[in-house]
Order: sequence, then structure tokens, then C-alpha cells
Amino acid sequence: MFDLFLQFLTNTGYFLADYRHYIMLVVGCTFLYLGTAKKFEPLLLVPIGFGILVGNIPFFKGFGIGIYEPNSVLHYLYFGVTTGVYPSIVFLGLGAMTDFSSLLAQPKLMLLGAAAQMGIYFTLLGALFLGFLPKEAASIAIIGGADGPTSIFLTAKLAPHLIGPIAIAAYSYMALIPVIQPPIMLLLTSKKERLIKMPPARQVSKKELLIFPVVGVLLCCFLAPTALPLLGMLFLGNFLKECGVVNRLANTAQSAIIDTATIFLGFTVGCSTQADVFLTPKALGIFFLGAIAFSIATASGVIFAKIMNLFLKEKINPLLGAAGVSAVPGSAREVHLMGLKEDPNNFLLMHGMACNSSGVIGSAICAGILWSFFL
Amino acid sequence: MIGIENITNNNGWAMAAVGASIVFLGLVLLSFVISQIHKLLKLWEDKEKYLDRLKKWAPAAGEEKSDAPIYKESRLPAAGELAGTYRPLVEKLKEPFELPQLFELAKKMDLPHPHLSIQRLQEADILVAQGDGTFIWDNLKANEGLNNV
Repeated sequence: MFDLFLQFLTNTGYFLADYRHYIMLVVGCTFLYLGTAKKFEPLLLVPIGFGILVGNIPFFKGFGIGIYEPNSVLHYLYFGVTTGVYPSIVFLGLGAMTDFSSLLAQPKLMLLGAAAQMGIYFTLLGALFLGFLPKEAASIAIIGGADGPTSIFLTAKLAPHLIGPIAIAAYSYMALIPVIQPPIMLLLTSKKERLIKMPPARQVSKKELLIFPVVGVLLCCFLAPTALPLLGMLFLGNFLKECGVVNRLANTAQSAIIDTATIFLGFTVGCSTQADVFLTPKALGIFFLGAIAFSIATASGVIFAKIMNLFLKEKINPLLGAAGVSAVPGSAREVHLMGLKEDPNNFLLMHGMACNSSGVIGSAICAGILWSFFL
Repeated sequence: MIGIENITNNNGWAMAAVGASIVFLGLVLLSFVISQIHKLLKLWEDKEKYLDRLKKWAPAAGEEKSDAPIYKESRLPAAGELAGTYRPLVEKLKEPFELPQLFELAKKMDLPHPHLSIQRLQEADILVAQGDGTFIWDNLKANEGLNNV
């Protein structure tokens, strides 16, 4: 009986755990703390944080328990990540939730979304410089788009072994927007520039909103057909919302469908951070490059806005450039808060949302382009 | 392999340059197109107005030709010539008549620029106001004008 008890003890997580598991459990708890107590992107950090806890409970390999073991339940749930199904579904819901009217009212702000994608290409060079393989470098670079589902989608296609660290890096930096972006915005803009007020946006008609997803999907996907799984779903979701005749579908896409996908996406990505797979020197490199990518993306947007001001009669507030990354709505909110800090009557939220939505489109196009380079 | 050599060997420079250019091009194109959507919609909604304008500028081929003389606004005929054109219309009306009656009749006959023509007849005192909103046709003045043509 004693032997049986001892045998049981040797099979418990307490016996099998090593220091790496404890590190990851601390990381998981930190995510849960940031998500719940600090309310940093709780919709993402809570499922991911809990997934990290579940994924780092030690177990005997070969029993079909872990996420990397074939036939395990977690492995089947993870299938949605490795095939790119969850990111596409998230994009459907995102499209059904997004109001593109601010973008349609000020199309020039779309250029800021394009400029902010430069972070991706600088990071591509940086990752190659550090010795990553080209497909790995492309997957790391997409973190600069600040778009979790897009990062997961591209990594699943190009470097599936890096999904865990890349997804965690992307979502962590998205959650850390209030920490990363403000110093860069302050550094690159003068007080006078931050005080620039944007004119109120014009009223956008229902017909324009209806035509936009059709034009968008045709133009963008003809240019980068590999972005179809993301942009096709994004614009479908948006058309469902705007056409007004399928409200049931639009409501389901923007609530039940996106919520279900987010839970499984976050949870399984968290589970994929098993200590033995996750805690490697490569993961550290990815976190380092992710921070660089995010910072360069923010800086590119701000600098490009300043360049645009050299040619525009009606100046734009360069803070908006920081919202060109596709972290919706975090970066737009941050730009708005910084604008308010300088002038309590300067409301930049809707303008920031215009840049944000173009950032979503831009980063999905970038993912398509990078993927097509390796086809 | 690390460093610049790794970038060059893996075509990194080209990938970064081409990728950045394509995404820029795509979003510039999209922003241009969406900036035109509301203009195109306005054009579509006011298509009747624009078509009318277009018809005036370039009459369609095969359009039924009117027997009435055709002349451009800038080359409106002299009052005498207009008197010759409008006399048969006035004869159909019972004097004194109101200008809208004459205008309607001229429009029915598809005469060009009836408004301007009637104004010119008034200026030449061929159409004489009675002070109560009605007009009469001055045959003497009309004949004088016709003789001068």
C-alpha cells in the first residue's frame, strides 16, 4: 500500500515540477493579476493567463494530456490555432463590431495605418540580423502589427513551433500599450503638435458604409490574396453589420462567435506555453524583438504624421500616428488620453479609431504579403 | 549565420522594401477609392440633373428635330426676328394675356429659351404691360422690328 502511495506521489505535479514550471506559473498569475486587478486587456489576458497555468501543470508524457500530444483534448482545441481557424473567426467578429465611419470620413488617416506597419519590416531585418531563419523572422516581425490574431495566423503558417512565444509577446505588448506608447509619443512630438485639434468628421452615409466592405475586400485581396482568410472574414463581418438585413447574424458574430473564438484562442495559446517548449533563448529573443517592433511601429506612425503635416494645409495631430498600430481600441484610447492631458477639449478618440481600423487592414495585408514571400 | 550577411543571404532587404511598398500602395489605393465613394454616390443620386445637363450640351444623335429655329443663348435673335416667331403664338391667346400663358405655349412648341425671348420682347416694348399683370401685343412695334431684320 505504501508503494502504491509512493508511486502515486511520483506521478503528481509536485514531484514532476522543476523551476521552469514555477517561472511559468508566476507568469500566468501575473497575467491574471494584470487582467483582473489592473484591467489590462482582460478579454485576452484572463484566458491566456489561465491557459498558462493549465499548460504548465507537469504531467507524465504519453498519456494524451498535454497540448502537444496527439489525441489529447487540448490538442484538438489547439487545432483552431495551428490551422488559423480561430484568428479568422475573431476577424469575422471584429468586422461585425467595427464602425468604419470615422475612416471613411477621413481617408487620409489611412496612411498612418500604413506607416505604422513599417515596424514589421524593420523587425524582419532585425530578426534576420539576430540569426533567425527567414520564416521565423517573418513571424516575429508581424508582432509589430500589434495584432494578436494576425500574429498567430501568420506564425501558424510559417513557424508553428513559435506560436506560444509570439502570441504571448503580441498580446503582452498589446496589454502594455499604456506603458510602451506614451513615452514614444512624448519623445517625438512637441507640445504645440500635441495641441493640434482635428476638425469634426463629416457625416458618412449608410450607402458608403455598405459599399466600403465590398470595395475593401476586392481591392485588398486582389493585391494580397493570401490575406483572404483574415480580410475576407473581416469585411464579411462588417457587411453583415452594415447591410441591416441580417441583424441576427451580425449580432451573433459580434457576441457569441467572437467570444467563443477568443476563449479558445486565448486559453490554448496560454496552454501552448509549456515551460520546456517556451523557456528557451529563442523566446527571449522574440520578446526583445517584439518590444522593438512595437516601438518602431508607434514611432513610424508618429513620424509619418509629422511628414504629412509638411504638405497638408489642415494639419493632423501627430499623436494619431501612434494609433496606426492595429491594437483596437487600446492605442486609439491612449492617443485620446494623451490629447486630453494636453487640452481637456481635444477629443481624438474617433480619429484614433480611424487609424486603428486602417492598422487592422494594414497588418492583415502585411501578413498576407509575408506569407506569399514563402509560398 | 547572423548579422548583415544573414539579411543579405535571405533576401531580407528586398522582402522589407517590397513588402513595405506593397502595403503602402494598397492602403493609398484604398484610401483614394474610399475618398471618392461619397462623390460617386452623389453623382449617382443626382444623375437626372447631370444627364439633363449633358443632354443640353450634346444633343443625342437621331433626336427629333424641331421646326423652330435653334439658336444659342449667347446668340439670341433680335427682337424683330423673335416677334415673327412669337406672333402666331400670341394670336392663339386672347388679349390681354398673362406671360406664363405665352411661356407655356412657347415651351409646348419647343421654342428655345422662351424665358429670355419673352424678356427681350418686353424690353423692345412689343409686349406691353397693362399694369394689372397682363400684357398685350403691340403690332406696330412688332412690324417695325420685322422690317429692321
